[in-house]
Amino acid sequence: MAITNFKETQSFETIMNGLWRDHPIFSMVLGICSALAVSNKLENAIAMGAGVIFVMVSTATLISLLRSLIPRRVRMITYMVMIASFVIIVDLFLQAFFPNISTALGPYVGLIITNCIIMGRAEAFSSHNGLGQSILDALSNGIAYTYTLASVAIIREVLGFGTLLGYKVTPESWTNWVVMAMAPGAFFVVAVIIWISRTAAGMESE
Amino acid sequence: MKNTMNDIVKMLLFLIIIGTFFTSSLVLMDGYTEPIIERNEIIKMKSGVLNALQIPFTSETLDERFSAHVEQTEIGERTVYVTKEGAVAVPYNGSGLWGPIIGVLAVDPETDRIRGLTIIQQEETPGLGGRIAEDEYLGQFTNKRFSPELELKPEGRAEGENEIDAITGATLSSKAFVKILNEEYSRYKELYEEQS
Repeated sequence: MAITNFKETQSFETIMNGLWRDHPIFSMVLGICSALAVSNKLENAIAMGAGVIFVMVSTATLISLLRSLIPRRVRMITYMVMIASFVIIVDLFLQAFFPNISTALGPYVGLIITNCIIMGRAEAFSSHNGLGQSILDALSNGIAYTYTLASVAIIREVLGFGTLLGYKVTPESWTNWVVMAMAPGAFFVVAVIIWISRTAAGMESE
Repeated sequence: MKNTMNDIVKMLLFLIIIGTFFTSSLVLMDGYTEPIIERNEIIKMKSGVLNALQIPFTSETLDERFSAHVEQTEIGERTVYVTKEGAVAVPYNGSGLWGPIIGVLAVDPETDRIRGLTIIQQEETPGLGGRIAEDEYLGQFTNKRFSPELELKPEGRAEGENEIDAITGATLSSKAFVKILNEEYSRYKELYEEQS
């Protein structure tokens, strides 16, 4: 009973849209740049995902709270200032407390600013929805981004380095697929994952 | 007319408030993390130096070990780290194939023999050129000599005491790396001979 009720609520809609139906990477093909760049190791993918989730939830909260105050003509600049500030906070935080991850992610932390998922959700959702819904939307989109990045990273790290989270998982005789560790490997894996999930979801291609 | 003026004033006010708010929160965050980030840099350098000199340490004993074994001195305008036995750790820095390669090279300046070396930062191709940073690859440098400089040989052919194995499939990265070491060491050696 409780479940069927929940399924009809707005929150369920929002979560399902973010996590699956309007999945930012599969269905909207947003945020691909960083998905290709930092998905060679699971650790990096998780750190990147956590950073993106933090930035998304923070900007969604602020934008949703201020949505009636933000003058229409400068709304993009306002979003940019917010996103950029939160990204710098994430960058400083990683440098201070996770220096190794910070080195591994390199310039890509800063490039969260240009991650279209964040700007896209800010403009399309947070700017005209309430606080609760906006946070849910940001969370589910962020999680969708993270689980995609993580699944690409699992495939690439195992095939490309023979490890998972740094632990050796392949037999001694394993030869690393160097291509998987490099950017072209990401193209193959992301394409295959998008293909499989689109087919599974029965999405039409335009 | 009055309305548009009003709008513009409102807009400016809004931007000023938002800008001030975020700038001040960034200043606060920066002030909070700056000492921690500086400390991380020092840890990186110190562990690089100790690793290159092959002095064992743990994260707790890093500072104590560092000050017990190593003394920081200036030679020319370079900072180097000298041990009591006369070995010296020289931080080096040069361009690899894709990005800078930064690390520490420990040498005995009397015999030009390498004690050990570490790479602190490199951006070579993961799995190919990136292997220069693996212990297995760096291990072969120990006890090699700059006589007069290191020479790169195809993988498995290095025999002489100044010969280094290249990485098959990553010749450019190996070349760049050996070139950096040769250049940086000869620069240091000049300074060293001037001083003594």
